[in-house]
Amino acid sequence: MPDRDLSIRIFEVMALHRAVEDRMVSMYRQGEMLGSVYTGHWHEAIAVGTAAALRPDDFLCPIHRDLGAHLWRGMPPWQVMASFLGKATSPTGGRDGTLHYGRLDLNIYNLPSHIPDNYPVAIGGAFAFKYRGEDRVALAYCGDGSTSRGDFHEAVNIAAVLDLPCVFVVENNQFAYSTPLRLQSRTDFATKAVAYGIPGEKVDGTDVTAVYEAAARAVGRARAGQGPSLIECVTMRMHGHAEHDPADYVPRELFDQWKVKDPLDVAAGQLIAAGYATDQEITGMREDARRQAIEARKKALSDPMPVPDREEERVYA
Amino acid sequence: MPDNEVTYLDAVSQALMAEMQADEAVFLIGEDVGQFGGAFKVTKGFLEKFGERRVVDTPIAESGFTGLAAGAALNGLRPVVEYQFADFISTAWDQITNVIARHHYRTGNAMPITFRCPFGARLRAGPTHSQSIESYFAHTPGLKIVAPATVEDAAGLLRSAIRDNNPVLYLESKYLYRRIKTPGPLTLDPVPIGKARIARPGDRLTLISYAASVHQALEAAEVLAGDGISIEVIDLRTLVPLDFDTIRASVEKTGRAVVLHEAPRRLGYGAEITAEISERCFWHLDQPVTRIGALNTPIPTSPPLEDAMLPSTAQVIDTVRRVATS
Repeated sequence: MPDRDLSIRIFEVMALHRAVEDRMVSMYRQGEMLGSVYTGHWHEAIAVGTAAALRPDDFLCPIHRDLGAHLWRGMPPWQVMASFLGKATSPTGGRDGTLHYGRLDLNIYNLPSHIPDNYPVAIGGAFAFKYRGEDRVALAYCGDGSTSRGDFHEAVNIAAVLDLPCVFVVENNQFAYSTPLRLQSRTDFATKAVAYGIPGEKVDGTDVTAVYEAAARAVGRARAGQGPSLIECVTMRMHGHAEHDPADYVPRELFDQWKVKDPLDVAAGQLIAAGYATDQEITGMREDARRQAIEARKKALSDPMPVPDREEERVYA
Repeated sequence: MPDNEVTYLDAVSQALMAEMQADEAVFLIGEDVGQFGGAFKVTKGFLEKFGERRVVDTPIAESGFTGLAAGAALNGLRPVVEYQFADFISTAWDQITNVIARHHYRTGNAMPITFRCPFGARLRAGPTHSQSIESYFAHTPGLKIVAPATVEDAAGLLRSAIRDNNPVLYLESKYLYRRIKTPGPLTLDPVPIGKARIARPGDRLTLISYAASVHQALEAAEVLAGDGISIEVIDLRTLVPLDFDTIRASVEKTGRAVVLHEAPRRLGYGAEITAEISERCFWHLDQPVTRIGALNTPIPTSPPLEDAMLPSTAQVIDTVRRVATS
């Protein structure tokens, strides 16, 4: 388990991840959002546990379930909301929007909708670091569904043969939109690492300590010049693909089964068991996150919309 | 060939080498580019000179190494990506259009990548080794497209492409690789992207083309000159951004325009040029703008079939004569 300060920080960001998304769900229900809202409930331990194992100068290539990874790097919650609102103050100035808010100044890639297109991009970051002899690493996420696309295979295979400092995280959350695991793959995902000749590890994606430690091992190998690794983090998507989706295709008992594994409760239990925080302090941290989310919404809503301005001149650098 | 002559292929190779020598951030990646020196030997000797770090042989994974180039470009490098044949770029379509082309508009981050695409027909290489890919990509905002027709431009446009902070599709004519040459040594001066060239001045009709077809246009113009018909040939050099000023000045002078390319006629790049001329030079036109392109079929392999599919010089002469004299 990370030390006290790091463990507390991890919990604070996980709590903020949850609180910001809960707030965005209510904004969606009020009709404030441009489109749907993609949340990462039960993915907080994966997003924050992996991001916490990296340095700020490492290249991070997250997907739409990984808000906590952005928050870990210092992305303000209001700016995430501004993206879902199409505001001028969003990282893309409204040119892209919703979940496309990655900021390169935070060493975070802003991916298109075609996941895992971020996998080949991540290995390019890793390539550049190795090229210059830097000890930086790249880390990319994708879901169980995206492992079926060619870019997953091409990126992991190239990273393996070129021995690039890259960590691949597969967030196995049981469903790709409505498609269940059995229609995605006959093996689990950590096993696929064997075929690429790289280390593969399967961890409980609701246990932030387990995720952090697996990520730290993989990042350590990459930084030491020992090449790429794959980590499968098993969790459950506790909602539809996005807020418009009631997820009727998910057996209710599956939700019941996973409901008791809330990553925030797991993390809180670990903090208390380690003597790092009291019940009261946990409640305080969650309340603080809720207040930050409320303030973030106010700023995002009051921010201006973009004004079209010589748009064709913005296409080229 | 005398020692001092430089081919189109040599020009590509020399420009690439010059840029790699000038800038440590430039690296080459693709299939068989290293120890084999590239399918057409453009990068012969590069591995020995620059090593495996900067001349990177990859698995057969166009999408993967194209995305790699994007990530490297976002992290300070200037990748030159070689597709063995332009036809294979289709397997990197998603990375080019969704990851790379849109990135600057979406985020404001630069994407300095050069895509080397040996393209075009007339080598009896058949439906999936002969394609002209420009129209697929010209429709995607965010990409620049250059297509040199001369030895000097092959070098100069490649240097400019590599120095550009945007993704540039560099369409190199594999038909011209060893067919055209010029006395060396080449100066390798960069040629600005977005500037067309008057390849032959004339006053009766403007014949617009690019890449290998420029030579066919010049051949036709020479024949027609013998009949007293003066043709101005424009070598576009860059397709995106299009140098419409050069086209406009010529068409306002001649009042007649024909666009020639070896890509299929339907929605070929000639359609765009024709529409632009029709909209913007309408009152200067004496005749409808006319397109010459290939048949709307895949490119056949067998010589009689391929020759029938592509514009012939006789067909260019006939069409241009008709428009010029109507």
